[in-house]
Amino acid sequence: MSEVKKIDKGLPRYRPATDIIEREDGFHIYMDLPGVKREALSIDLQEDELIVTGRVELDQGGKEHFVEMQFGDCEYVRSISITDIVDRERIKANLEGGVLELHLPKVEKTQPRRIEITTG
Amino acid sequence: MVIDFNTLYNFPSRFDRVFEDFFKPPMGNDRRLAYPPLNLSNDDDNVYVRAELPGIDIEDIELTLTDKTLVLKGERGAPQGKYYRQERPSGVFHRVVNVSVPIDRDNVTATMVDGILTVTLPKSEEIKPRSINIEIA
Repeated sequence: MSEVKKIDKGLPRYRPATDIIEREDGFHIYMDLPGVKREALSIDLQEDELIVTGRVELDQGGKEHFVEMQFGDCEYVRSISITDIVDRERIKANLEGGVLELHLPKVEKTQPRRIEITTG
Repeated sequence: MVIDFNTLYNFPSRFDRVFEDFFKPPMGNDRRLAYPPLNLSNDDDNVYVRAELPGIDIEDIELTLTDKTLVLKGERGAPQGKYYRQERPSGVFHRVVNVSVPIDRDNVTATMVDGILTVTLPKSEEIKPRSINIEIA
């Protein structure tokens, strides 16, 4: 595990690979979180920041002798700024097969409006 | 480092964003390894090959066991849409693992849990360590 640098005593931290896509129905965010279970994943929305934290604890038995190790226990952390046009109330998250999919729908379009000008 | 949809609220005093630069992406920089990343291990009974393959169905992975190698093949598609950011690898992957010990080919199993593929290759009986009773006449 030479390439995995330890931060303090905790797990190594990584930024998960992320796709951000816009479609008709809003924004879709895909995050690769292999090994993260639902219980070990948290998504927090703080004002304009969406923070995803996931923890990987693989049960790779103690008796095994490792010849090659290219991934292991770690913590995934990623924060994403959210635009004003996202409807915060309707954000959906789904974790399946190690991929987190977030759906961020847009707020219903506000109709263009002419602004009345008054003269004093 | 983070996509900004918003232009109105962009505080420069963001400590976590400064620290974020230190978190290496798993596939980047010094970890530029062949895809997918593999863990190879063995114990007395089995050889284990593990691979990080998030978002791929086990049916879409082609596993071939030849005389001395295990071949992992498949393709990872990318979702459609207008991309703001694309970091997840996509396309065809192919990795060959050398297996130097004799394998009990009929009992090889593969499982996929949370995007991690585990292939268990049982070592064939004749190479397993066993104790021999020495009878003293």
